[in-house]
Amino acid sequence: MTPLVALKGISKSFVGVRVLNSVDFDVRPGEVHALLGENGAGKSTLIKIIAGVHAPDAGEIIIGGQPAKFANPGQAVKAGIAIVYQELLLFPELSVAENIFLNHAPRLSWGGLDWAQMRDKSRALLDDLDSHHLDVDAKVGSLSVANRQRVEIAKALSQNARVVVMDEPTASLAEVDVQQLLAIVRRLRSRGVGIVYVSHKLPEIFALADRVSVLRDGNYVATRDIKDVTERSLVAMMVGRSIDQLFPKEEAQIGAPRLELRNVSHGKAVRDISFTLRAGEILGVAGLVGSGRTETALTIFGITPATAGEILIDGRPVQIRSPQQARDLGIAYVPEDRGLQGLVRPQTIAENISLTVLRRLSRAFIVDRGKEVTLARDFIKRLGIRARGPGQAARQLSGGNQQKVVLAKWLAAEPRILIMDEPTRGIDVGAKSEIHALMSKLAQSGLAILMISSELPEVLGMSDRVLVMNGGRIVAEIDRNDATPETVGAAMTLVRDQEAAA
Amino acid sequence: MTASLRSLLLRHETILGVLLILALIALAWQSDRFFTADNLLNQGRLMAEVGLVALAMTFVIVTGGIDLSVGSILGLVAILLGVFWQNMGIPLPIAMVLGILVGGIAGLVNGIIITRFGVPPLIATLATLALYRGLAEGISQARSVRGYPDWFFTLGQGEVLGVPTQLWIFGLLALIAAVILGLSTFGRATYAIGSNAVASRFSGLSVDRTLLLIYMASGLIAGLAAVIFVSRVSTTRSDMGTGLELDVITAVVLGGTSIFGGRGTIIGTLLGLVLMQALKNGLALAGVKGDGTIVVIGAVLIGTILISNIFRKDADG
Repeated sequence: MTPLVALKGISKSFVGVRVLNSVDFDVRPGEVHALLGENGAGKSTLIKIIAGVHAPDAGEIIIGGQPAKFANPGQAVKAGIAIVYQELLLFPELSVAENIFLNHAPRLSWGGLDWAQMRDKSRALLDDLDSHHLDVDAKVGSLSVANRQRVEIAKALSQNARVVVMDEPTASLAEVDVQQLLAIVRRLRSRGVGIVYVSHKLPEIFALADRVSVLRDGNYVATRDIKDVTERSLVAMMVGRSIDQLFPKEEAQIGAPRLELRNVSHGKAVRDISFTLRAGEILGVAGLVGSGRTETALTIFGITPATAGEILIDGRPVQIRSPQQARDLGIAYVPEDRGLQGLVRPQTIAENISLTVLRRLSRAFIVDRGKEVTLARDFIKRLGIRARGPGQAARQLSGGNQQKVVLAKWLAAEPRILIMDEPTRGIDVGAKSEIHALMSKLAQSGLAILMISSELPEVLGMSDRVLVMNGGRIVAEIDRNDATPETVGAAMTLVRDQEAAA
Repeated sequence: MTASLRSLLLRHETILGVLLILALIALAWQSDRFFTADNLLNQGRLMAEVGLVALAMTFVIVTGGIDLSVGSILGLVAILLGVFWQNMGIPLPIAMVLGILVGGIAGLVNGIIITRFGVPPLIATLATLALYRGLAEGISQARSVRGYPDWFFTLGQGEVLGVPTQLWIFGLLALIAAVILGLSTFGRATYAIGSNAVASRFSGLSVDRTLLLIYMASGLIAGLAAVIFVSRVSTTRSDMGTGLELDVITAVVLGGTSIFGGRGTIIGTLLGLVLMQALKNGLALAGVKGDGTIVVIGAVLIGTILISNIFRKDADG
């Protein structure tokens, strides 16, 4: 079968750094071709070459058997290639229909916009994606991430795309939405569209892909049929070494209660939360997006102070009204949104790490830069942060290394309670297992860890105990031995049904 | 090592320094009265007020904010100084302190509006720009206050060791500001807030307290500038300091402080200030009319920022 798009021997360098080295890749009609690789492996660059954003230094692009050259993204769109980027590029103030037909809206004879046709066509496209509930007149800004993604896909189809490239489409979706997205992708495939699917999540790839290609450090590693690979062999291809265990949870001595919540509430998001977190324990918190997990963490951390109930640390009641107080009580919070809440991206690694301990690093209010750099160097070594040095800007690091900087910043404050919110979101497999190993080690050293995660395998793999939240409440507490995808998943959805019935 | 040398050479401050030297040479060549000790010291005297306010404004803009009300605070404090002393009979030294404190309170009010009620700094201080100026005009009733005692003029017209008094004050405060912004924990918090206020809060920095202090300092220093201003011109009027904020912001931005926050230095602000004053004075001496001078300053501002951006992009690669 002639591939819809084929790339042959593609190379690309940026300011002397080679990011792609003679990479081959193709997509056939009616297949899902997964593209795998760690962050920095060159996936994004390859996608941008397919999209016509970058021109390759060497190699050729063949569209339907004919060599092609894209001078700009518009030409790639004309050739039937559409990209659904991770950070959905939609206009929040425009309606669904306007977004779908931006730039190629149907016209009336005198050149005006044909609104009726635009809305009808949008409706048809969305119905085609089984999204009957989506209003074509709704502002995109009011939609959920999952629905925005559908709009983006409809936009791709409206341009008669024969190849759809999806860059980590499920990175910020809840499990239910992930399943629906997978259904949409299968539907596209059955209509003969070729799909390039980039994701870090191996279960999705096994559920969806026909073939898989792996990149590592800009080099093409291999392309395989999905039936010829296992999770382990894929990881080994990506990382270049075999990772013995995906979740290196080690037994830790579980000690005295560190943090205790008694009937803590904050508005409607956090309702009547009670639990105990012990030294050396990793307590996982599972639940759907919006179930109140992050809100509970923010309440403990003093961003949204508790309006009712009691928080105890080491058995003593405490008041936490601000993040400063939380920090001084030994609580650390590695937040969900690394770019917004975790890092000061333009500043250096050293400046980021020292933020929580500025007072300790200074004498008479003057920051001791020597001490600051030493501290950063220690953490770069201890956490294996891959960087040029303490003076490198945080924004230049890969996702995994950025997360390590955020973690370093909080470990510098020598916390006794560590809250990690989605600790490995958007991080490649190698860095992920490093962070998991680190969590195990920290727990062994007696740190009490509260881990919020939307990835069920992570929750099951790393936790000593699992709390399941829904509607702002804790609905189940499951011991490690009893925690399976079924028990946790059932607890997550059972209450949902009850609430729907009520 | 060459990389760090390169980045030093491409710093905004370096580019500005070179530009300043070129401007000084050109201006000295244009007029033989420009490069004389008398003229330069006199120019220093004239730029002290704008300079003082620019020090605090550098902090404000580094946090990503702006304070448009400084000119009005200056006018208000100037009027109150006269009212306290002449109408209320408060001894002049105490009236001076009270005036400066009123400046601080005005700044604090800005800070409270911005942090407690979440009003964007541009809008909050645009409102207080009108408010404080209105107060000043209401209080003064279009009368001016004169007849200050001779000792008071030491501040604005006198000299210490051959250098204008206010230049000493300015130099001292510039040094303090440079140390605080460049080296202290407070300075670190200021940069962090300007780059990412949310992450700063999530790191346990007291964002609101830092902003309150900065806006209060901005008001205090505008009050101090008001006292010096009155002493320099020997009289008090309610329209004093009108448009001062624009000169101040120009100096700070010319000095390389990013209007989006997170970047800027006191050294840069000083260079920007001196360049602006040199152009004003030098061009006037060379016979260029006032409106021509403004055109040149505008062009220099855009030019420097363009050059600096080009090099920055290059350096980031």
